[in-house]
Amino acid sequence: MSESSTPVEEQKQGASRRTFLKVLGAAGATTAAIGCSSNTGEKLIPYLVQPDETVPGVSNYYASTCRECAAGCGVLLEVRDGRTFKIEGNPDHPLNRGALCSRGQASVQGLYNPDRYRQPMLRKNGKLSPISWTQAIQLLEQQLATVQSAGKAGSALFINQHESGSFPGFLDAWLAGYGMPAHLSYAALADGGVIAANRQSYGVAWPSLDFTAAKLIVSFGADFLETWGANVPQQLSFADARAKGADAPRFVYVGPRRSLTGMNADQWIACKPGSELAIANALGGSGSIAQAAQASDVPVATLQALATELAKGPPSLFLAGGSFDVALAVNGLNQKFGNVGRSVLSARPIESFEGMSSDAELMDAIERMRAGQVSMLLVRGANPVFTSPKSAKVADAMAKVAFKVSFSSYPDETSELCDLVLPDNHAIESWGDAQPLPGVISLQQPGMDPVYETRATADVLLAVAKGNPKLATAHPAPSYREYLIGRYPGGTAAFTAALIKGISSGALASERAKKAVVATTRTAANIEATSGDTYLVVYPSPLLDDGSGANKPWLQEIPDPVTKVCWQTVVEVGSSAAARLAIDSGDVLRVETAAGAITAPAYVYPGLRGDTIAIAFGRGHTAYGRYAMNVGVNPGDLLPVAFDAKSGAQAWTSTKVKVTKTGDFIPLVSSEGSARQHGRGIAQAIDARDLGIVPTPAEAEKTGGGEEHLPGDASHEFLPGLRAPVAQDAQGDLPSDDNMKGMYDPKHWSGMAKRRWAMTVDLARCTGCSACVTACYAENNIATVGAIHQSHSTSGLEGQPGANILRGREMAWIRLERYFEGGETLDESFETRFVPMLCQQCGNAPCEPVCPVYATYHSPDGLNVQVYNRCVGTRYCSNNCPYKVRYFNWFGYGEPARPQYAWPERMNWQLNPDVTVRGKGVMEKCTFCVQRIRESEHRAKLEGRAVEADEFTTSCAQACPSNAITFGDAADPAWSVTKMIADKRAYHVFEELNTFTAVVYLKKVNHTVAAGA
Amino acid sequence: MRGIVGVFPELDAAVEAIEELKKLRVGDVTVYSPAPRHELDDVLKAPPSVVRRYTLIGALLGVTFGYWIPIWISDYWPLVVGGKPIASWVPYTIIGFEVMVLIGSLSTVAGLFIHARIPRITQTVGYDPRFSDGSFGIWVECRPDEQETVRRVLRENGAEEVRGDR
Amino acid sequence: MTAVAPETHEERRDNIATADVQLPLVKSYTQVTDEILDTLKITKAWLTGLAIAVTCLGIGATAWIYQIYMGLGVAGYHPPVMWGVYIITFVFWVGIGHAGTLISAILYLFRAGFRTTIYRCAEVMTVFAVMTAGLFPILHLGRPWKFFWLIPYPNWRLIWPQFKSPLVWDVFAILTYLTVSATFLFIGLIPDLAVLRDRETNPLRKKIYGVLSFGWRNSDREWRHFARAYLFLAAFSTPLVLSVHSVVSFDFAMADVPGWHTTIFPPYFVAGAIFSGIGMVFTIIIPVRRWFKLKHYVTLNHLDAAAKLCLFTSLVVGCAYLTEFFIAWYSGSETEQAYFVNRVFGQWWWAAWIMLTCNGILPMMLFSQKLRRNTTFLFTLSIFINLGMWYERFVIIVPSLSHEFEPWQWAPYAPTYIDWAILLGSFGWFSMWFLLFVKQLPVLAIAEIKEIVPPRMRHPVSRLSLDGHGETPGTDASNEVL
Repeated sequence: MSESSTPVEEQKQGASRRTFLKVLGAAGATTAAIGCSSNTGEKLIPYLVQPDETVPGVSNYYASTCRECAAGCGVLLEVRDGRTFKIEGNPDHPLNRGALCSRGQASVQGLYNPDRYRQPMLRKNGKLSPISWTQAIQLLEQQLATVQSAGKAGSALFINQHESGSFPGFLDAWLAGYGMPAHLSYAALADGGVIAANRQSYGVAWPSLDFTAAKLIVSFGADFLETWGANVPQQLSFADARAKGADAPRFVYVGPRRSLTGMNADQWIACKPGSELAIANALGGSGSIAQAAQASDVPVATLQALATELAKGPPSLFLAGGSFDVALAVNGLNQKFGNVGRSVLSARPIESFEGMSSDAELMDAIERMRAGQVSMLLVRGANPVFTSPKSAKVADAMAKVAFKVSFSSYPDETSELCDLVLPDNHAIESWGDAQPLPGVISLQQPGMDPVYETRATADVLLAVAKGNPKLATAHPAPSYREYLIGRYPGGTAAFTAALIKGISSGALASERAKKAVVATTRTAANIEATSGDTYLVVYPSPLLDDGSGANKPWLQEIPDPVTKVCWQTVVEVGSSAAARLAIDSGDVLRVETAAGAITAPAYVYPGLRGDTIAIAFGRGHTAYGRYAMNVGVNPGDLLPVAFDAKSGAQAWTSTKVKVTKTGDFIPLVSSEGSARQHGRGIAQAIDARDLGIVPTPAEAEKTGGGEEHLPGDASHEFLPGLRAPVAQDAQGDLPSDDNMKGMYDPKHWSGMAKRRWAMTVDLARCTGCSACVTACYAENNIATVGAIHQSHSTSGLEGQPGANILRGREMAWIRLERYFEGGETLDESFETRFVPMLCQQCGNAPCEPVCPVYATYHSPDGLNVQVYNRCVGTRYCSNNCPYKVRYFNWFGYGEPARPQYAWPERMNWQLNPDVTVRGKGVMEKCTFCVQRIRESEHRAKLEGRAVEADEFTTSCAQACPSNAITFGDAADPAWSVTKMIADKRAYHVFEELNTFTAVVYLKKVNHTVAAGA
Repeated sequence: MRGIVGVFPELDAAVEAIEELKKLRVGDVTVYSPAPRHELDDVLKAPPSVVRRYTLIGALLGVTFGYWIPIWISDYWPLVVGGKPIASWVPYTIIGFEVMVLIGSLSTVAGLFIHARIPRITQTVGYDPRFSDGSFGIWVECRPDEQETVRRVLRENGAEEVRGDR
Repeated sequence: MTAVAPETHEERRDNIATADVQLPLVKSYTQVTDEILDTLKITKAWLTGLAIAVTCLGIGATAWIYQIYMGLGVAGYHPPVMWGVYIITFVFWVGIGHAGTLISAILYLFRAGFRTTIYRCAEVMTVFAVMTAGLFPILHLGRPWKFFWLIPYPNWRLIWPQFKSPLVWDVFAILTYLTVSATFLFIGLIPDLAVLRDRETNPLRKKIYGVLSFGWRNSDREWRHFARAYLFLAAFSTPLVLSVHSVVSFDFAMADVPGWHTTIFPPYFVAGAIFSGIGMVFTIIIPVRRWFKLKHYVTLNHLDAAAKLCLFTSLVVGCAYLTEFFIAWYSGSETEQAYFVNRVFGQWWWAAWIMLTCNGILPMMLFSQKLRRNTTFLFTLSIFINLGMWYERFVIIVPSLSHEFEPWQWAPYAPTYIDWAILLGSFGWFSMWFLLFVKQLPVLAIAEIKEIVPPRMRHPVSRLSLDGHGETPGTDASNEVL
């Protein structure tokens, strides 16, 4: 029972710049009025009185702000018939410029999550049971009154997820009303050390970074493409820099583990954990290269070369992750080499990271709880029980608190321990604002009525306050929305106007002063002091972040960009260690520390030092709903409570471990076949020096061919299949007689054959972040198949999460292939190449002629069409597809009655009404978002005009935070895709097969030579 | 119609009887044998079977139809697959061939049925179950005045049983 | 009267397959009729066999129903290995079918006399094998209830199959093959049905046989047209049988998959098919001749001759294997080479070596006449051949798909219990039909055997002495057409 039951019409408003503004012009103003009818969504009855701006089958777009992380990117909520079903970046937003990361896009799955609290819950004889909102609010009032009367208000504790904007101030004011201390603004796994150092160096928490201004980037474990800082703007800037070809910066990554960010580096300096400081100092001249090399176990020559390269004084950029000291030293480097104000824009800080509490503060609070000094605990958006090390025993401490209130929407580890749960609205259901950059206000407006009986915490707090006569006056605003309008510069009119674009200039008066660095008194981390034979690196998963993503099947199912493993926690073991200990991928390892032990299968990864293992944080929930619970293990169980002394940030690389083989074997739930491309030229690269040089065949021969000179080399004069919209080879061997050509005749009235839809993927930009994959899942109703309940039997392998993926049955229409180049021997360095692989929409598609029923054929505008209703499921097309981009519905993923159902109730509200949910036993594949193509064609027709160049784009291209994907009509020079195709780096994958693909890749550019030379 | 049937345990006896009947030009001879024998064909000097004509015609019709169907269909609904010609005769040869064999064989069988006059509803006169087992049979349809001659010939040539049938 | 002679009675002579086949222990037409009709008596062993067959079929059917309900995911498919046990088994059964037509049609045209006693058995095997094979393309569909979309049935939407697809060629080839071989079998049965009719005492059965025999009377006119029709059916079946497995091989040869995309496939598949078919003939005929006491009809000479044919096709197949490797190397195509290395020394070495051993090496033993005339050996070998030929298809289909152009999508493959259950079911289905046949209808061709048995003569040395007159009725006629 999904959107497919609501009347779907031919057109909806698209994200075209011009049209969405038109809609929003009125939409924003009437947002609150349109109580988008989420509960009537099931009915097929047409509106009797149609709400303004709501046309069945036509989308509205509301500008809002993403709350999945603190950064505060601008988003557009696509709403159809009262349901938000897609989130895209807001092109006008200065922070993310239209791009959005996987986590942001997956927030709709948080909105419709089947495991959300339906209404307030109260703990009665041990278990949480539903109560009404009136009861709940009364109860909270009473508790507050008792705490106050007992004079214990001062010892109450409010832990809130860190966010910028008006709420923190509002909250503190509210707390103050009850005589309670200011709240803790908690962000798990935030780089506290770096923030502290930045504040010391620049006076701001997080300067903006301009990668394009640098010629050399050196990152000391700063994973700026993942969870380090505001990843989307950083990725945008990094990609822009790398797209500059020969002028692009060389990127050196320093750290024990080569993260996703590290994989994008041209050089990896594998230093010992904790030795980054020595290297930074050496480069800064305050220490000798020799000592640094000795401390970090890196060849002197390597560091020397880097030092010399720096000495040439190229514009550079130094980034640090981890401890305060390293960050400070690195900031010193930036100052030394004059990068501040050039590539480090401290004048344009990312405000979102201001006012964050340190982990030590949280730990102190937890100790107070343990000591029974906390009268009342209130938690919103944070899940400290999961995100703190197990050894901190947060649960025990909480048990000592008399009354615990959670505002969490989900049954997470923390809320499960609370006495009263007042489920908060999802960000998509609530009002708010943020201050991402100085002078920029980003507004947050609801896309729809609450899905369940939840209420915005701010409104709950207001209601509670109104219940208290003494406080009622202090909170005049009838609702939080009024409150926001009240303090918005310019009042209602300005506010309403600003909602249209979702952002406005101006500053929100912040009650929270910039916090000073709090040095902690607690035990400082000393990794060498711990016992064990191997270093342990714990890092936040790029997709699941601090674990808050774990209840969203998309994020669980999309393979980790580095290990390519999903629905599973693996212990990453360096190749040399694997060789030494005879460990193979899948061997179950037992990892032990003083704090605890876990067992998990090994993944052998060349990008890791031999003396180090790494485990991603984010899985291993013991609660948090059907998709998160009992999936993977939690490396937090291994960690001691240890801090970075100067900043009080939890130290994640803080202990050695003892690793032993248990002898068991668990196959990895991985999308990886072979990590090597065996010289087949799927992911091609070119050295920056060779750019612009077109090798003659003779030269190619001389250089021994090799993949850089396979067919598909940019030296080709033209790109077959894209020469003309009706090229004989691209569109079939048509009869000379025109009236036999039908729609394939460019002169046909439909004019379809005048177009040739095509796509370019710039591998120099692509970072492998997989945001395009998420976008595709969201746009095309792609089923996730890995959840435990989706496997058809409970025995053996079928019984574990990702069982279907163990048989390679993931449905991702676009997948990120990650190939290693070089590094066959342990000491040799290796290069990583990412290739987004999707249906290539071949001009001469091998899949078409083998279909016995015309279920797949070639459309006049160059699409390789798949007709689901006609498909009988011979799967011959997939056999014949060289790119292996066709996906088969092995089970009834779209049938609610089945265990394999991919959209359990309310998750199905997210389904895109323009795309069918495929049935059991049919083949499916990338359609180039044909629904978007047709929609804009129809819209153009209605408006009596031609489709304009770059008027629309596919979902993957729209989301890409690297702008690596360009889509358009290759037959029309006005589209930017035609310019991209003309690039010298362009090539087709497997061109030797004469498939004349419509997807053109631009070679990755490697920078092997020293910059500034 | 009336006639005489003779049952011969031995082949050569039957053959000689037939030869003699042919010499005397009496009646119209039908021979039954458990298995086809040359000797019988030789003495009967029957014209060659015409079943082959059915085969030829059937095959020609078949191959035409087998080519026509896919070509007509492709042109009726012209969709490009894999950049191949809309109506590409090369692969359609396979269809043509298979349909040729199909119709050809079936028409051959039809020819057999028509000319062998089967299926026949009744075991008409002049048949004896022994003819499908071990014995040869000669059935002579003749005028009453010839019956004596026929009986004599059959008996003299060693029929183990000779009887009239009506 | 069934004097079954011990096999040693036959003098050992190298048996050149000729029209002149002697059945020394078969004296008279009546003996033929009696002894062959005796095989139709129902026995306890037969009932047991039938029960087992039906049970296997039941298991398979249950598995299929479960699969239709749950979806194909219950089978062991592991993309990109999108075809597995079902297509393997499909090709396997089609292959089995081929020997029947070869023996009954091609050897008929070649006047290979030794075919006479085994061809009925082989032909029945053909029809039922093709019937079994025909199930699998339907069974492996994602939406089996839509299988008829592959057939060009008239429909008002005028939506038709896509005739460029090898799968549609399959539909035509298989259906034609089934129809023609069934017709051929039935036409051959008509005279025998007449025999049954005349011998039957039970009036009801007599009536049924009467209808089935179309009132056949063994008259000269009937025999004349019968011979000609039989000849032309044989002449049609011969190219048909070659075309059918060529078309099946197109399913692979027409694809661009490394290991599939090769021109050697049609001849290679046809040879393999006949090879496997003869293997299956041995598996069937050897027990039949023992249990039905027909050793003096299906003599060692006949088996010997068939064994030679088996050896020959085995050599052809072996040669094809080697050619594949050579071409892979000679083509210089890296993907092709990588695939073949992986096939024999990589992931799939075990399957490849089962195939090479059973199909290439073991049959070499047939060079020894001693072994060719040892039924126990032949039977055992035939089992290995069946296994080997199933694995040949496995090796062609699975390793190719699992090791294609896109290294990121290289994958393993492991069938599930559903795959195995359905494979078992297919054997149950085949055996059930075969067993039902052998007790209702003569498993040896009565009329044709009578042709090679000397008829009673009044003057044993007359001008009609049997100088090579064992020829089949088609002979003279064929002289006219050829």
